[in-house]
Amino acid sequence: MLKLTDVEVVFNPNTPYEVRALRGLSLKVERGDFVTVIGANGAGKSTLFNAIAGTITPTRGTIQLNNRDITRTPEHVRSARIGRVFQNPLLGTCPGLTVHENLALAARRGRRRGLRPGVKRAERSVFADLLAMVGMGLETRLDSDVGLLSGGQRQAITLLMATLADPDMLLLDEHTAALDPNAAAQIIDLTVSLAAERHLTVIMITHSMQQAVSVGSRIVMMNRGELVFEICGGERAAITADDLVRRFRDLARGDELSDRSLLE
Amino acid sequence: MTTSIRSRTRARAYALGYAARLTALAAALALLMAASGVSIGAIGQGLALALVGMGVYISFRVLNFPDLSVDGSFPLGGAAAAALIVNCGVSAEWTLFAALAAGALLGLCTALIHVLFKIDGLLASIIVMTGAYTVTLRVMTSSNIPLINQRTILTPYQPSVREWVIANFGAEARRFANNLVEIVVFSLVVIVMLLIVRWFLRTEIGLTLRAAGKNPQMVRAIGVDHRLMIIVGLMLSNGLSGLAGALTVQQLGFADVQMGIGIIVRGLAAVMIGETLLRPRTIGQGILAAIIGMIAFEVLRAWVFAALRLEAADIRLMSAVVVLIALAAPGVLRNIAQRRKTTVIESRDAQTDRR
Ligand SMILES: Nc1ncnc2c1ncn2[C@@H]1O[C@H](COP(=O)(O)OP(=O)(O)OP(=O)(O)O)[C@@H](O)[C@H]1O
Ligand SMILES: [Mg+2]
Repeated sequence: MLKLTDVEVVFNPNTPYEVRALRGLSLKVERGDFVTVIGANGAGKSTLFNAIAGTITPTRGTIQLNNRDITRTPEHVRSARIGRVFQNPLLGTCPGLTVHENLALAARRGRRRGLRPGVKRAERSVFADLLAMVGMGLETRLDSDVGLLSGGQRQAITLLMATLADPDMLLLDEHTAALDPNAAAQIIDLTVSLAAERHLTVIMITHSMQQAVSVGSRIVMMNRGELVFEICGGERAAITADDLVRRFRDLARGDELSDRSLLE
Repeated sequence: MTTSIRSRTRARAYALGYAARLTALAAALALLMAASGVSIGAIGQGLALALVGMGVYISFRVLNFPDLSVDGSFPLGGAAAAALIVNCGVSAEWTLFAALAAGALLGLCTALIHVLFKIDGLLASIIVMTGAYTVTLRVMTSSNIPLINQRTILTPYQPSVREWVIANFGAEARRFANNLVEIVVFSLVVIVMLLIVRWFLRTEIGLTLRAAGKNPQMVRAIGVDHRLMIIVGLMLSNGLSGLAGALTVQQLGFADVQMGIGIIVRGLAAVMIGETLLRPRTIGQGILAAIIGMIAFEVLRAWVFAALRLEAADIRLMSAVVVLIALAAPGVLRNIAQRRKTTVIESRDAQTDRR
């Protein structure tokens, strides 16, 4: 389904600000997989999503989706098949437009847009039902300007928008980070049920080890632009959040040691 | 479902408030005109320029693109109309479409320069505006084309209206007759464009265009190339400006290469006046506010000019001052409000200290 081969992303190459955000990363995701990605701040998780979605072009390596090379395909073309929730809660929705208008825009993902009305009255009840599933009372705010909603509310709407037009693949970048614990749990449940219902292939970035072990079929750990380990199968079934935290710590300690040896 | 009815009622209540502000503004302008003797010609002029306000609203507000090429599309549209009437004998009505197309072409240039070469929008539009001057001059072949004794979109109605006016109001009202024709014909054009643009901005493409101005990343994420929307939006806004140029030329009775200079600032002034006085919320209200803002600006301009005995050349300083006030006032007012608040707190502190 999705195959990344030796993907490298270098920001500001050959300048003092050079950052190697991805260092020859390879990853294979099968149809129907639900992968959780963990890793420290700056590990390159969001950059990985940007490369998959086409927001940035890798400096090396290839990306394949459904056996087609999409390494140089523009972002808006890939978006027809890929739904996405950004880490930044403000990026996924459009202020100045109503909740209804935002959802209507997303509902036409991957279809030709023409001179038909941008919003249809018939969609209202469908969208209201969807919003009711989120459980934030948003179903009563279809006509509110999205810019007036909270970051968490906007993130929840973005999740709905990302799944609306049945994409092949869903990229979730810490999509519950802006939510209170209650809402976060609810959104995670919704994510799992949407993924199952619509047979989505999901990659979900999270900083919550609890989330990482409780949902999904595979766990992937990133560190300094590389994929350091992957947990699946029987090991995946047995692992606990504490185990993950321990492995996370070990890795951080390892980095510290190698940094010190570099300095010496 | 009850909630959606409630929110719709709320929207209707806001529209009512908007209509009330609109009526109040119209009444105030009418009073001003009656009291100061400003000719209704100012309204005709405002209507002719209203489409510039609409265009600026689309580029600056909807698309969030600081496009100055409006300054080029306005005289280009006017030049195209005048040249077609005088040199080619094209009927005046058709020249409106030509002006629209000429303006749109200029908008296309600005958009393409920005999109293809990744040149800053402001800079791209300055490049186009500068180049457009030459194109306008070439189209006109001289720096001024008079439309004396030519059929314009206004002339067919003038004789009968003049007769009627003279019969009812006396011979001194001749000018009034021409102004009346202008107002009716331009109103028609402006209302048609208002309806078309409002319809368009609510279609699937129009909605995407509005989103592209606010959040291009989101537009790409839902599968649309946001650059396409910039192209469509700038073609629309500059087309409107070109059309305004054609109307203005037919009203003035001549075309001049110089006539576009500074028009962008007048468009901005109109948008800001409209926003401040009418506080639009929906897209339709926004477009209408730009139109009304331009009319209000023209009436005020006529009044200020008459009162202070200003000359035509002063218009640019005046529009610059209006935009400056509109831009600076909110910040200044906030500062004053804050200072007042802190002084109150300080004096309260001083009192407690004394105790
Ligand atoms: N546009 C950019 N220009 C320059 N450097 C960038 C850019 N985007 C990301 N980086 C750098 O790339 C590295 C990886 O960033 P990335 O956002 O992918 O981290 P992350 O794993 O998502 O972290 P977090 O958990 O904090 O979200 C960081 O060092 C960051 O500074
Ligand atoms: Mg990140």
